[in-house]
Amino acid sequence: MAKVPGLLKGLGVTLGTMVETITKGANTVQYPHEKETPPIRSRGVIALHEGNCTSCMLCARSCPDWCIYIEGHKELAPPRRAGGKPRQVNKLDRFDIDYALCMYCGICVEVCPFDALFWSPEYEYSEPRIADLLHDKAKLGEWMETVPEAPELEAGAEKKSKK
Amino acid sequence: MTMLGDRQQLAYIASQAADARVNVELETEGMTLNIGPQHPATHGTLRIIARLDGEQVVWAEPSCGYMHRGYEKLAEVRTFPQVTALVNRIDWLGSFANEVPFILAAEELMGIEAPPRAQWIRTILFELSRIANVSLFLGDLGVQLGAITPVFFAFRDREYVLNLIEGATGGRFHPNFDRIGGLKDDLPAGFIDETRVVMRKMRKFCDEIEGLLFGNEIFEARTRGIGVIPRDLALQYGLSGANLRGSGVDWDLRRDQKLPMAWDKVDWKVWTHPDGDSYARCWIRLQEVRESTLIVEKLLDSLPSGPVMAKVPRIIKVPEGEAWVSTENPLGEMGYYVVSKGELGPFRVKIRSASFNNISIVPWLLKGVYVPDIITILASLYFILGDIDR
Repeated sequence: MAKVPGLLKGLGVTLGTMVETITKGANTVQYPHEKETPPIRSRGVIALHEGNCTSCMLCARSCPDWCIYIEGHKELAPPRRAGGKPRQVNKLDRFDIDYALCMYCGICVEVCPFDALFWSPEYEYSEPRIADLLHDKAKLGEWMETVPEAPELEAGAEKKSKK
Repeated sequence: MTMLGDRQQLAYIASQAADARVNVELETEGMTLNIGPQHPATHGTLRIIARLDGEQVVWAEPSCGYMHRGYEKLAEVRTFPQVTALVNRIDWLGSFANEVPFILAAEELMGIEAPPRAQWIRTILFELSRIANVSLFLGDLGVQLGAITPVFFAFRDREYVLNLIEGATGGRFHPNFDRIGGLKDDLPAGFIDETRVVMRKMRKFCDEIEGLLFGNEIFEARTRGIGVIPRDLALQYGLSGANLRGSGVDWDLRRDQKLPMAWDKVDWKVWTHPDGDSYARCWIRLQEVRESTLIVEKLLDSLPSGPVMAKVPRIIKVPEGEAWVSTENPLGEMGYYVVSKGELGPFRVKIRSASFNNISIVPWLLKGVYVPDIITILASLYFILGDIDR
């Protein structure tokens, strides 16, 4: 059998792909009308559960490009039991993440000892002005609704995954 | 003869051979051609200064540093977990592979070893990032030579691999998944089945690229015998990866050195090609993608169960010492020399990236070639601009 010229072979490959596209549909989606769901673990945006935050500053200190701004003060709260001493609690005044600086490494979510930060796969929060990418604690709190449950693990995994 | 004398003689012969390629009979006015630094087709900036005599290059030099980000210096003021997020961005197409040698060096200093399951998953993700990286090269190669179709195929099929990496690690390009002592998390359910499907797709993609490019007469005419690197010269210039194996050197760090990774647990083949021309380098990479898909499948078959994280303290302080670990990354040998003084971060990090050494042969290789072949040769050497300047 004579060798098929490479040009014809290449044309055969593209023809096969064309037939596949016509019969099975294209691989791309028309973005604003159709959306692909990102995987559960996808690092889209960081959500803040304000009640858990003690403003310990661990996340702000461990951030590689220092894009987390935290301010807080101490407050006296009523005692847990009647007759006890008033407790001292940390009150969070400001918790901002500057998404213009954030490099989505996830170190802050990981170091948080009180489970106050979570990843959400949401990605549609671009802004026309760069200053609007600074999300304050109210906006970060809104993302909490979009945080998914952690995925099931593959067979053979030892412990349950957190976050 | 001494070693030095040998080298000098070979360098002399090499420069004579390169000079002989330059046509001196026709005297034309010289011209300096700047290729780069900015070009819409490149992701990054590299400038190549070529002095031309008519259609021939008489002198060429890559001028790098336009994208220098100073990662070695940045690493000195960051803690070990933070450096992992930085080194992701060196070779951005195969970023998981950048983390591994750094983490292995830190683990070596701390005297801990990741559990077997973590080693297996590391190796699987390492090979997946190699497939994502090199499959883009195979598509990009066509574009450099004027064929537009392969790049669409490459972007289509690379997306499957990136989806796998994103599903497991959370980041398409910058996984930041490796931790000192193991991995951040285990694989999500369904990863293994999905990976098997994608690996079959990638092998089909390799067949398509082979049908489109590697049997094509135009492609062969543009690459066969173009940019030949002799075996000895490849060794002397410190080339690594597919550029070295394309010159017939049987050298692969995945096989040749003992690391706490899973490559030695399965059988696979190191591909070499004796020719040393552009075709050989491209062909090697095509075979490597195929081989990597097979490695991934074999590793998935033998994936052990257990934890993915060894016992490490919450605040990581690496003891005093120095360590050098290099691995066979998609582009070649990539190594980290980590010096620690027992603090939270490294005292000094030296990054040996493959592309920087691979382009050191460009002045020799471009001497005497014709202008259209510059692109072929640069494409076949395959460097990532971030890997050159880091």
